[in-house]
Order: sequence, then structure tokens, then C-alpha cells
Amino acid sequence: MSTISLPSPASVPREVALGAVHALAILAGAVPFGLLLGSLAAKAGLTPLDMGLMSGIVFAGSSQFVAVELWGHGAPGLAVVASVLLVNLRHLLMGATLAPRFHGVPPLRAGLALFFMTDEVWALALRRGQGLTFGYWFGVGLTLYVGWLSATVAGTLAGALVADPAAWGLDFTFIAVFLCLLAGLWTGVGSLPPWLASAGAALVVNAVTPGGPWHILAGAVAGGAVAAWRGKAVS
Amino acid sequence: MDGMMVDGTLLAVIVAAGLLTWLTRVGGPWLIARIRLGPAANAALEATPGAVLVALVAPAALSRPSDALATLFVCLIARRVPMAVAVALGVAAVVVLRRVM
Repeated sequence: MSTISLPSPASVPREVALGAVHALAILAGAVPFGLLLGSLAAKAGLTPLDMGLMSGIVFAGSSQFVAVELWGHGAPGLAVVASVLLVNLRHLLMGATLAPRFHGVPPLRAGLALFFMTDEVWALALRRGQGLTFGYWFGVGLTLYVGWLSATVAGTLAGALVADPAAWGLDFTFIAVFLCLLAGLWTGVGSLPPWLASAGAALVVNAVTPGGPWHILAGAVAGGAVAAWRGKAVS
Repeated sequence: MDGMMVDGTLLAVIVAAGLLTWLTRVGGPWLIARIRLGPAANAALEATPGAVLVALVAPAALSRPSDALATLFVCLIARRVPMAVAVALGVAAVVVLRRVM
């Protein structure tokens, strides 16, 4: 497989524009969630500046929902950081699949490009196949970055006006969003055992330490253990 | 306006979370060139994101019958309609179900 290429200077604007156009379609779906995250962040006590810093520095949607949810419930900072890390561990796998493309790319350029690797950038990059260029990568990445940053900050500005999201069932949006993300990870009945193990462990630990964040770690470990055991069994 | 002041703990959380998230992004290509995961470790890593999401929602989703029913509803429609639609319908369902249950 070939390394991700620098486009010839003349084609850079075209590659960037193509990436931006592909990203706009994704952005149309992402903006409502950015607005939602922003309004929930306002409810959790974050200012628009806090939200902007988080979107600008972390730039990972589902983990930001998790961080805002936990922060709003007064979880310790370390637990928030650990949960964000756990949710984003999938990047390791996604990055691993792109490894041949980054072989031999100067570390600084690879490090900067990979900062923008969200689920969507990764998916579009894979779809581009051998024709992947840095122009296209940054066209997608920067468009999503600016859009996500703007939407989440706008949501925080508007969200301060929303009185009580729970009265409108908006507290359930967290659950619904995570269920949709989960549905995207479904690969068949084989997905169920680790998920059931995780749910069981999470419920037990949450009963012992109610509201605490430890049920997340317990679920992750239980689910991972079941998957490891099954992975060993089938190989 | 206190909007220009950032809570110190929150800033530390954001910077630490951002740094670790960046490491998960650059870590894949970096690690793959250096280690080989066994099938068990690979399976565990692969299952981690889903397990985390399940653990996150399980306590709240099953906290009351109305929310559990709405959770089931969202699971059934999540792969059939766009995400925004599934979330909107799920929220609408929970509002109705909480009122009648």
C-alpha cells in the first residue's frame, strides 16, 4: 500500500476543496449534535469559552458528551479524563488500519494530520483508498474542526437560555446518542456477549457506588475480558 | 461577565483529555510498527468502545421502566433511520412514556 502523498502544488486547492465538500455532507448531520452538546454543556456549568477550548483541544464528539455528562454530575477530574481516554481508545485501532499510509511520513506532519482523525475523517480517508492526499485529509479535517467548534460554542450560547432540559426529556438524548453510536458498532450477534458483560458489571458497580464513574471502567474491563476470552476461543 | 474565566480544574481536565486523545490518534500507526497484538488482546481492544458505551448508558437506561422501554425503542430504530431522527423519536418516546408509566 502506498504512503499518503503530498499532492503536486497545482492540485492542492482542488484536493482541499474536494475534502471540504465531502466533509460538508457529514457536517450537516454533526451540527445538531454540536448544538446539543453545547446546550448540555451549558446545563453542566460550562461557559462558551470552556466549550470552545474542549472542542478545539479534544475534538472527539462522543468522548466530549461523556466528559460533559460526568463533569455535570460532579465526577472527579481524573475520572473524566480516564473516561475520555477509554471512549477514544478506538482511535488506536482506526490509526492502526491507516498505519501503511503514514509509514515514512515525517513525525511532525503525521502528528498534525492525525490530530484531526475523527471517525468521519478516518472513514473518508479509507474510502479514498490509494488516492489519499494530505490536501484531501486536511480539507476534510479542517472543515469538520471549524464546523464542530462553531456548533458546540453556539449551542452553549443558546443553551444557557434553556431552562430545564429534563422536563423535555432532553436528559434522555445522552442515552439515545450513545445507543445510536453503539448501533454503529454492531457487527452481528457476536457483539452481544461483551456488551451484556459490560451492562451487568456496570449495573452491579453502579449499585455499589451510585453515580460514581467506576461503573464505566468495570463495564469496559468486563466487556474486554469476555471479548478476549472469545477471541482466544475462536482463533 | 465570568465567561472569560476558565475553572482551573476544568482546564486541566480538558488539556489532559486532549493530550491523551491525541496520543490515541498517533498511537495506532506508531504501535503497529512496533508490536504484534495476540488475538485475545486484539479482540479485547476491539470490544472496548462498545463496552464503554454500554456501561455508560446501562444504569440510566434501566433506571425506570419508561426509560428502559424508550431504550429498547431506540435500539430497534437506530440502524433503520438517521441518527438525528432516532434521537428525536427516542426523546419524544421517553416524554410520552414517563407521563403514562
